[in-house]
Amino acid sequence: MSENTDNNATPAPEAKPEAINASCRLPVLFLFFSAAIWAVQASAAGVLGSLKLHVPGFLADCPYLTYGRLQAGAWVAFLFGFAGNAGLGLTLWMLSRLRGMELARPGFVMAGAIMWNVGVTAAMVGITLGDQPGVPGYELPAYAGRVLFIGHALIAFSAILTFFSRRHKQLYPSSWYLIASLVAFPWIVGTAHWLLVETPVRGAAQIPVAHWAATSLQQIWLGCIGLASLIYFIPKITQRELYSRQWAAFGFWMLLILGGWVNLNSGSPLPVWSIKLSQFASMLFVFVLVAVGWNLCQTAKGVPLIGSEDLTLKFMGVSLASWLVVALYTVGNSMADWNGLLQFTYAGTAMRQLFAWGFFAMAMFGAIYYVAPRLFGSEVDWACSGTYKWVFYLTAVGAAVVGLAGLGLSYGHGEALTNVETLEVTKKALMPMRIAFMGELAFLGASLIFFCSMACLLFRNCCGECSPMSLIRQCCPAKAEGGAE
Amino acid sequence: MNKSPWIFLGVLFALSLSWWGMVYGPASQVNNLSAGLGGGDALKPRVGLAKQGEQVYRENGCYYCHTRTAVGGTFGYEIQITQLGDNQQINEEVVGEDYSTQPAFKKAYAYRAVAKAADALKAEQDKKPEERNEAKIGDANATLTSAKTKAGAHGDDMKVNLIAYGISGVNFEPDMRAQLGLPAEMDEEQQATVAGARFAITDGKQEWNDIERKVRRLRDKAGAQFKLQPVAKEWPDVQRGAGRQSVSRDFLFDAHAMVGVMRVGPDLSSQGSVIAPLDKNGVPVSTLEADNKFYKHLYDPQWDGQSSHMPPFRYLFRERTLDEDALVSSGEIIIEKGDAPKVAIIPTVKARALLAYMKSLRTDKSLPEAPLVKVPKQASAKQLGE
Repeated sequence: MSENTDNNATPAPEAKPEAINASCRLPVLFLFFSAAIWAVQASAAGVLGSLKLHVPGFLADCPYLTYGRLQAGAWVAFLFGFAGNAGLGLTLWMLSRLRGMELARPGFVMAGAIMWNVGVTAAMVGITLGDQPGVPGYELPAYAGRVLFIGHALIAFSAILTFFSRRHKQLYPSSWYLIASLVAFPWIVGTAHWLLVETPVRGAAQIPVAHWAATSLQQIWLGCIGLASLIYFIPKITQRELYSRQWAAFGFWMLLILGGWVNLNSGSPLPVWSIKLSQFASMLFVFVLVAVGWNLCQTAKGVPLIGSEDLTLKFMGVSLASWLVVALYTVGNSMADWNGLLQFTYAGTAMRQLFAWGFFAMAMFGAIYYVAPRLFGSEVDWACSGTYKWVFYLTAVGAAVVGLAGLGLSYGHGEALTNVETLEVTKKALMPMRIAFMGELAFLGASLIFFCSMACLLFRNCCGECSPMSLIRQCCPAKAEGGAE
Repeated sequence: MNKSPWIFLGVLFALSLSWWGMVYGPASQVNNLSAGLGGGDALKPRVGLAKQGEQVYRENGCYYCHTRTAVGGTFGYEIQITQLGDNQQINEEVVGEDYSTQPAFKKAYAYRAVAKAADALKAEQDKKPEERNEAKIGDANATLTSAKTKAGAHGDDMKVNLIAYGISGVNFEPDMRAQLGLPAEMDEEQQATVAGARFAITDGKQEWNDIERKVRRLRDKAGAQFKLQPVAKEWPDVQRGAGRQSVSRDFLFDAHAMVGVMRVGPDLSSQGSVIAPLDKNGVPVSTLEADNKFYKHLYDPQWDGQSSHMPPFRYLFRERTLDEDALVSSGEIIIEKGDAPKVAIIPTVKARALLAYMKSLRTDKSLPEAPLVKVPKQASAKQLGE
């Protein structure tokens, strides 16, 4: 992971890690803490939604809490709330560290982060009131989309300035992924916003646009940030070089080329050529799977990632495993029979959950576990580091339960849908979701612990000697001695 | 991979590929679809309450549990002759013995023979007196009489006669029809039977490869007119009640194309046919009973004691509990469920809009790219179980 400076040019001197961390402290911690809040909201909305499936009459008289609105809200809270905040925060920190420069224009980031969170809040309120555009995977009302767009632009401006502030001889592969995520987001959201929400195209034409937007946001935007962190942290913590830059480059380009094409349902009411093309792209996705998987597995060869003593490495191990399972499912979608069987079952939703929580959230939790204390200084650690490991356990168990329920039991639902004689289709549909509910509870537990850990970290360390914890510590002895409260 | 500008350009190029393939390509193709169905008929946009109902469907997120996509399945072809060719022998050979011996086929050619004899007689009778040959007229008369006898001899089933008349391609005067056992004055139903007469010469199990030769010979050698009717083999959505596969044009006028995520509940692509089925003229027929059944299901999906996991949407109704001797106002729908007190509900505008939207979801009209699919009787027994 060495980054040699170009001797022919006159690069700016590399900033010290402490200085970089200090420059990132306020904006990145703000983004991380916001992510923690949204993670709780996302998982809570998911649990509430699932509960309504098991007890249909629960909160049935409240029009703001229908299953559809809660599902839409849960995904928006995760995608833009948790993933957006955590991903952007990590992007800024990693770009600064990879370029060896302090974060440029942190004020822009703060403004952007506030805008971003205002946008997500507006989206959540809008969805609760029924303003969602009806596009699963992209449920942003028009007004929220505009605010998010501006917020991202402000943050990306700082990221791009940081990226170009110093030249390197070699760009580390994580930089490629991070740059791709910064470029992809406005493109994807701009297209979806313009063609689906602002000036919607004709109904029939919305179907391919909606699929592309939802798939690209997941596979390319989230995928790039998540893989960037895997490629950064696995070699860093195992103290090895990345196995192959060529494999990394191949995987990177293939992901960008194929990410938006895959996973189209074979029964979609679209021209047959686009369905076939999507199946072909899903088949080619095996190259991404092999390139990324092989490269990272070879990098960590001999090191048990999940069984490691290092918690960050554990997180990264589960994250990588989840990504590989979802990539395998994507490749499986190239088979028309398989795709046709599972297209209207819980399998697709379960794989999205596995991608979101098992892959992305795991990578972010692990990265934040590594980064957040360092932002305060080299001597700071998590208040109760033993508690944080429960974030790992609960998220891992939740991802495993949702993944297994989605892949295993959805098959029965798919069979029931294709067999006219089967009478209890709904029961078969609900079975995987009932089991996945346990996984969603685990996600909620993990989110709460993550939120508490972040709150505790900030409570103890923010504002230096003026942190709430320091003040309490100073006040308590004074009070005991009969001093002023 | 070390030049930042190249990374930027490469990312833009890579993204543009999938953007072109999944956004620009399909969207521009689908965006150019016309509403015309041929023959002056066209798809119509939703208006009024149905249009509002689409918003109710969207804002409640119904598309997370219901799809609106009837997918394809396996099918065979039934070759349906709409008009037989001139040469009976060749047509018999092409159609095969199993079908050429059926009454409709034989009778159709008998009608053609009558028409031919009648034309020959008329031709002789229309000649100038100096050219007229009484012997020939006598022969033609005898031929016509013989043809009429044959035509009247095959079976008495009026429907078969009408189908034979339809596929024969001839047109008789009322008095001739009466002589042949056909109704002199046809009612609407009989006219529709003649106009839509089809004579199937395959059982619908064959795939294209099996019938390709027969189709070519019918067209090129026999000179018959025919159509190919898809018949469901394994086509669950059609067997559950959809008329055909959903296609892009079903979403042409949707403000929001909500194809659906999961099928926790049933597919709704043909819900309009369930609530308001088409009459003989192809016009949806709404009944108060069917409307009220929908409202009751929406208010309390378990109102009739059947298991359902759909949540109740009570907030779409105004409700009041009825006492023993309470009077029911006009427009109120009564719900009685077990020992629970009787409840009278009145649907709000949103509930009525949702019903109108449901009625607009139909796959019971044929599109050129998605013809209606015939369902064998034993396979269609199970209709929309939930």
